[in-house]
Amino acid sequence: MAATADKSVIEGLIKQNGTTIGAVLGRGSVGVAEEGSDGKMHATVRIPMDELIFEPRVLVMPHGGELELEIINDDNNSHCAVLPNNGDAKFIWLVNFSKGRASLNLDGPGYYWYGSRTGNDEGGGLTGTIVVGGEVPDEAKLDRPPQPRP
Amino acid sequence: MATETEYVDAGEAVDFRILSPGLVGSAPPVAKGVNYDRILKGRDAESHNWLTYYGAYDGQRYSPLDQINTSNVKGLSPAWVFQCGSVGMHSGASTYSLEASPLVVDGVMYVTGFDGWMWALDAKTGQELWRYHRASPYDVRLCCGNVNRGCAVAHGMVFMTTLNAHVIALDATSGKLVWDQPYGDVRAGESATVAPLIVKDMVIVGSSGGEFGVRGHADAFKLETGERVWRCYMVPAPGEPGSETWPDDGETWARGGANCWTTPTFDPDLNLLYFNTGNPCPDFDGGVRPGDNLYTDSVVAVDPDTGQIKNHYQYTPHDVWDYDSTMENILFEMDGRKCSGHFDKNGYFFVLDRTDCSLIRVVPFVDRITWGEIDADGKVTPRVFPDKEGDPVHFWPGPAGAKEWTHAAYSPKTGLFYCPVQDVGATATRRRREFKESIPYWGAGVAVDTEDVSGYLSAIDPATGQERWRFRNQFPMTASVLTTGGGLVFAGDPAGIYRAFNDSSGDLLWEFNCGSGHHSSPSSYTVDGRQYIACPVGYGAWTEGFFPGALAAPGGSAIYAFALPE
Repeated sequence: MAATADKSVIEGLIKQNGTTIGAVLGRGSVGVAEEGSDGKMHATVRIPMDELIFEPRVLVMPHGGELELEIINDDNNSHCAVLPNNGDAKFIWLVNFSKGRASLNLDGPGYYWYGSRTGNDEGGGLTGTIVVGGEVPDEAKLDRPPQPRP
Repeated sequence: MATETEYVDAGEAVDFRILSPGLVGSAPPVAKGVNYDRILKGRDAESHNWLTYYGAYDGQRYSPLDQINTSNVKGLSPAWVFQCGSVGMHSGASTYSLEASPLVVDGVMYVTGFDGWMWALDAKTGQELWRYHRASPYDVRLCCGNVNRGCAVAHGMVFMTTLNAHVIALDATSGKLVWDQPYGDVRAGESATVAPLIVKDMVIVGSSGGEFGVRGHADAFKLETGERVWRCYMVPAPGEPGSETWPDDGETWARGGANCWTTPTFDPDLNLLYFNTGNPCPDFDGGVRPGDNLYTDSVVAVDPDTGQIKNHYQYTPHDVWDYDSTMENILFEMDGRKCSGHFDKNGYFFVLDRTDCSLIRVVPFVDRITWGEIDADGKVTPRVFPDKEGDPVHFWPGPAGAKEWTHAAYSPKTGLFYCPVQDVGATATRRRREFKESIPYWGAGVAVDTEDVSGYLSAIDPATGQERWRFRNQFPMTASVLTTGGGLVFAGDPAGIYRAFNDSSGDLLWEFNCGSGHHSSPSSYTVDGRQYIACPVGYGAWTEGFFPGALAAPGGSAIYAFALPE
């Protein structure tokens, strides 16, 4: 058994030098990419000042496909991003107060991590998640009656 | 926050590969002329190449090359090493392993890694020519690690499967995607790790996911376009032949397993593919699926033109020990008969007449077998199995088997099979559970022995079933064997030691410490008249299943190419 954490402990998990040294991965805000008229999904993630996180920390693509991502570094330190993409990862260097773009192709369903591979940005909190929803195409599914899911 | 005008333009994210010094970016167009006919004749007509997964359709893993031989192998040393490492957070981060068999076409090596990697390398120098990296979902269900067993080459393309159950075709000169076909349902627990096989104008693959209660299948696609040709389920639906071996009520058949996660062998004269199928589901709880449970744990002969099942032989009927039969069925000739040889997880070596999959001979090949017995006629008598809820039962071999998926080899020069053997037991405690899609569906808690385990490399005569020689190893042997025209047998072990033996006497002739354990399928080739042995190294995968005593063994991710001094 473990005692329930109080509010300050929980809030300290998603900030720098709070409960621990960095921001614990996988916790924080959730955003959803928007479907564009171009058939692609679009979203923006930011690196807020002194927070060492991608905001939103979890970005949801409703289904597999193309994602046009804008990445903004609002921090007064340099970071980068190695982003998942079919064929090869995408890399962008983000100096202090910079803005860039990435075109990504991802299968769904499933989720992917990305991060800033400089210093230990990744461990400090600069590791984000791209969640891809949806189902596989019908032709890839098993020929069997619908089965119970958790 | 900066104002709009104050932001520095960071531009467009670039392909990560351009930041890799030494990466050429393209390969010579050597794969353009590779076709079915060349693969058919490849081992004899162009022995300098390794054109298909086993080196040839018969699965013998035999190279006629003899420059490296019993008299000079002691001089073998690394000619080059390629290392790939691991980037960022990826699925199965503690389980990645190199398991592939490198293909070689006229000086270019095509090889896959874990986590969706594929590389074209200069087979003479190890220089990276191009790379492709498929993004793999972090949460894809992987029973047995982040692995891939290799690729296929034809018509200027390279084919591989992805962890999330796609088969993809890449341009063999650029590494760019040509087509992409999903063929499994990751929400059902399916994945893919198999090396594709080119047969005629098709690319043949199979599914993984046998620990998640899926319905195993093999699939064929047009190699030029990715258009589906057929799908063959390895568990029959109600009313189909074999369905009488499943309960006639409920849906156990729909969760029955029988996945094809290693590459089939192929007889072009009989026009039959020999698929190797996995365990039934739930693995250890046979009470919910009374019957033989066809076509689990079987060799299934399939017509490649139609995807229709023609024959089968079931090695472990009603399996309750997780005894997949996914390991290869090696095709060979004996006394004028078309035969196949198969070392099963259950500890028995089967010789079949491959024209009709009838049994010729069955003999044990591991010292300790307690789960049951198979007599000379093939009659199976189970003796120890987890049939009582909560009652621990110990048996040999454990669920990784007396031989895992890693492949045996056959030398037409000696007429002997060479088998990597694991002498490892396990304890299973039946725990019945409700089926839920994507959740592991074992029906037991399992702990594999960490003590009193060992392994050996055995040379076995299929004509008699007798063992001709044995190399005893401190650890289970968990890597594929390679045999050559130089009278050599190569085999690696979990401690990283790669060894060469005399194929007739079993004498140890050479060894080299690769620094990480072996769990791959080495190949041999020549470039500019120099013979190489290509050996992917890097231990991981389902270590807790085949050798938990090696869970903390050094990881790695390297491809060694060994050669004699120039």
